[in-house]
Amino acid sequence: MTTNNASVNGTMVELIKVSKSYPPDVVALDNISLSINTGELFFMIGKSGAGKTTLLKMISYMEPPNTGLIEVAGHDLRRLRGNKLAKLRQRIGVAYQDFKLLLDRTVAENIAISMEVSYKQPSQIQKRVKNLLEQLQLSDKYNTITGELSRGEQQRITLARAVANSPTLLLVDEPTGNLDAETTGRVMQLLTKANNSGATVVIATHDESIFRNSKHRIMELDRGRMVSMKEATVS
Amino acid sequence: MRFWFSVVRQAGRNLRQTWPSQLMTLLTVSLSVLIFAFFSLVYTNMINSSEQLGDDLRLIIYLEDDPGPEMQEQLRRKITNFDRVEDIVFVSKEEAYKRFAEQLGGHRDVLDDIPKDFLPASVEVIPLKNLRSLNQIKLFSQYLSKLPGTLKVQYGQEWVERFYYFTRLLSIVVFLSGSLLILTTIFMVSYTIRLTIFGRQAELELLKLVGATNNYIRTPFLIEGVLQGLIGSSLGIFSLFLLYQWIKGHFSGPGLLELFSFTFFTPEVIIAIIFISIILTTAGSFTSIQKFLRI
Repeated sequence: MTTNNASVNGTMVELIKVSKSYPPDVVALDNISLSINTGELFFMIGKSGAGKTTLLKMISYMEPPNTGLIEVAGHDLRRLRGNKLAKLRQRIGVAYQDFKLLLDRTVAENIAISMEVSYKQPSQIQKRVKNLLEQLQLSDKYNTITGELSRGEQQRITLARAVANSPTLLLVDEPTGNLDAETTGRVMQLLTKANNSGATVVIATHDESIFRNSKHRIMELDRGRMVSMKEATVS
Repeated sequence: MRFWFSVVRQAGRNLRQTWPSQLMTLLTVSLSVLIFAFFSLVYTNMINSSEQLGDDLRLIIYLEDDPGPEMQEQLRRKITNFDRVEDIVFVSKEEAYKRFAEQLGGHRDVLDDIPKDFLPASVEVIPLKNLRSLNQIKLFSQYLSKLPGTLKVQYGQEWVERFYYFTRLLSIVVFLSGSLLILTTIFMVSYTIRLTIFGRQAELELLKLVGATNNYIRTPFLIEGVLQGLIGSSLGIFSLFLLYQWIKGHFSGPGLLELFSFTFFTPEVIIAIIFISIILTTAGSFTSIQKFLRI
């Protein structure tokens, strides 16, 4: 995929007056305008039902907005179809709250899937899977059937799958919801590492412990509206 | 190359996971091909037989008088105006007498006291050896009987009519069974694929999410369609061949099968049946997966 003007200029995600509602009259997002820079780590916070998950799904274009413009890496998502959309998604790592894991497959197969679709070498895939499992302290689960794992372990596998293909944009929904403090720290390390190596990371969460002392931008949503934006602090 | 490695592996995995429904589809395809090919084989052989029997088939028009060269030409023109024929032979009274004498052989002396022009002159019309001509013979005979100077038109009327109705009936059976079985095959294959898609909804959605191209998602299903068509139709044809061998083995000797030389499909026809089956099953797969990809 070619990087065009917008990403060269430093904007990875651009939303202009984006709204989304579900029948009969549930407003999920109302008139959101937002720019996320390339290489930024960005927090979206808010209570359940604030619209965080909907916004993430629209950025990966798994759901289209009712109105407004969404651009990712300079591409207007409304204009992307077929292979072009697929190629863009290969560059977006996604970890949703509902995991979307294949519970009858092994842990390794679940993580490998994001690399298989971009035709990575089997040896390269195996090496990367082992490395990620090591970072998340799940090395012994390589051949375990995913359905046999705990919720917390499944959450980490989802995260491993999201970062496996070295995406340029990482969308993570409630990454620490089922985790203890120690594992939360390890997950945040993994996300920070991805960010340090150039990926734009967008984290939707209501877990205050992971953004309380953050120096990154924090946007707060409430019932589909942006209610505040805390700017990044310069260290 | 890596694309094919991935999609073949996916197709294999899917076949392993959904083998009961795949097996049902395979059997449906086999049975459909078997039934259609059976009627088709009988029909083809009937047409071949009509050609063999048609060798002896001719219309004889008995005339009042020997036709002169001009009259012969007129008759020839009238006949060919109605339909194309293989041959027209004029038999004079004298020639008819000679033929009759030859047929009598050693007993030809019974003709000694009979005048040589006692047999009428005739025109023998040999129709083209195809089913259409055979079907037209009745109309042809009616037309010929109205030509001036005609006494009578003779042909194996009863046999031709029976044969005509039988082949008509058989062609309707072949057409109907063919159409119904084509619909059944497409429906069964697309239904199985739809079931498979339904069972793998989560996986297919995940594939879309992680950026699998439509070809990456679609190709394993198309491979399944191709395999169902190839294996299913080959099984169907092979079963028909076994049935054909069994019939030949049990009904050989003097009888119907000796009268009609019963033959199996040529390799070209077999390849065509298999090829068409593959096209149909792949089309069934394609329509199902396209519906999913559009969502």
